[in-house]
Amino acid sequence: MAFRAAMLRHIRVPVQNLTLKRPILQSWSFGNPTQSMSSHGDDHLDREEVIERVLSVIKDFPKVDPSKVTPDVHFQKDLGLDSLDTVEIVMALEEEFKLEIPDKEADKIDSCPLAIEYIVSHPMAG
Amino acid sequence: MSCVAPSAPSRAEILSLFRSLLRTAQKFSDYNIREYAKRRAIDGFRLNRDVSDPSMASWAYSEGKSQLEVAKRQAVVYSLYAPKVKSVMDVKSR
Repeated sequence: MAFRAAMLRHIRVPVQNLTLKRPILQSWSFGNPTQSMSSHGDDHLDREEVIERVLSVIKDFPKVDPSKVTPDVHFQKDLGLDSLDTVEIVMALEEEFKLEIPDKEADKIDSCPLAIEYIVSHPMAG
Repeated sequence: MSCVAPSAPSRAEILSLFRSLLRTAQKFSDYNIREYAKRRAIDGFRLNRDVSDPSMASWAYSEGKSQLEVAKRQAVVYSLYAPKVKSVMDVKSR
């Protein structure tokens, strides 16, 4: 029993370390003095980076053929998705960029360019 | 609730309900419940995708609404008994 408890304690340590070292926490980097804390400043994400991450989220969507995904695809016209899939993709983007997009805005996002535009201009995208 | 005004819900209302269900699903602290709630919402909407009868549509919509309330309540209840150690699936995905 003592051995088992010791083993369990041993196994659990690296898991907790992992959760502490999540890259997400580091990417917030509030302590970075070169970044301004203003809501509309220079701390926006790089456009290139946003495009890359948006595309990878869309490519990961099960119904999407990754080879068809380019920065200017329309979800329904080009990728053959329906409105429910679009909601799912926008939700996945919210999760990826730590955003909460209000319904009114989310309804308008139906293509890659609109999604990229929205996220690039969003002050809280991370 | 479901017996009043069987007017069909609008497209925007339906998508909004779907989004709310997915948002609520994300609030569950337990990986399995979180994934189940998400899967269940997606499957439910897929299943009723082709419903054209207005009274059936409004029934499905009010059913979804009541499930949303259940999910919201349960997310709060489960958060009080959240697992102390994260699921291995949560650790890997980060």
